[in-house]
Amino acid sequence: MFKGPAVPANQTHDFHSPISPEGLYWVTPVPASGLTFTADGKTATLQMANLSIIDQPRWPAMDAETNPAFLDFKVVFRATDEAVSYENAMQQFRFEGFKASAQLEATIRVPSIDFTFKTDPLETSKCDFAVMGTEVNGRYYESGK
Amino acid sequence: MGKRHDQNSNLISNLELDRRRWLKLGVASAVAAALPGTLLRAQTAPQACAAPIPQNHEPSNGGACPYPIPWLDKNGNHNQIPMPNVELSSIYHFKGRLARCNGFHGMGTDNHGNRLAWGAPSTDYSYMAGEYWAARQAHQAIFAHT
Repeated sequence: MFKGPAVPANQTHDFHSPISPEGLYWVTPVPASGLTFTADGKTATLQMANLSIIDQPRWPAMDAETNPAFLDFKVVFRATDEAVSYENAMQQFRFEGFKASAQLEATIRVPSIDFTFKTDPLETSKCDFAVMGTEVNGRYYESGK
Repeated sequence: MGKRHDQNSNLISNLELDRRRWLKLGVASAVAAALPGTLLRAQTAPQACAAPIPQNHEPSNGGACPYPIPWLDKNGNHNQIPMPNVELSSIYHFKGRLARCNGFHGMGTDNHGNRLAWGAPSTDYSYMAGEYWAARQAHQAIFAHT
């Protein structure tokens, strides 16, 4: 989030999940009800409410302080008909799917600083790159062929 | 007699060792007290990362949580901006449904009525729904990168 143009110097908030003890960046478990697909599988909705996150405005500074925050969000992915396949045998991953569009709406609360923020409706957001499909990596890479 | 001699020798030897141990302990304590706090903290940090010792004869198979792609660490972290032909999963040993997007941006309003821009080229969300491998077995789960 920025005050003025969206450049690092203007960043006032950075909302994300904490880094896990295993080193996973900003990954959080999702309840089964949090991810739904249309019958044709071409549209996916990822939605969570009251997710505990952190606000870390000075990220990625090592000593960037954090404030507990809460996130409600909804992301809708819609696959196009343009197929994509990304594979790297050396790095043992294979993604097969489709280019997609994605839109996001969210509400964020940071009680300790009495701050809330609500994005404009989902339809007004944009993203630069999106794909949806299936992936195998690591131990599943060879067996998934 | 020879045996007693050996026993006496062992006793003397043990006493000598004990004396040396106490001497070493005393010196070590004095040195430790003089060490700067930062060094002592550095020594305790890795202990927090040590694998737990199983209690009550429990097996030791590692943690059941997913872990990152090992070779993504080129930047000193395990985050990579999604784009064509790069690893899109955050989780290693994973198979399942995945979607990822980045470069989200838009506008919103705070609780003071201020209109603020949100998002950056690195603002990305994803889901990973399927199977991952940890603690020597497969797990079914859904995760999101937020």
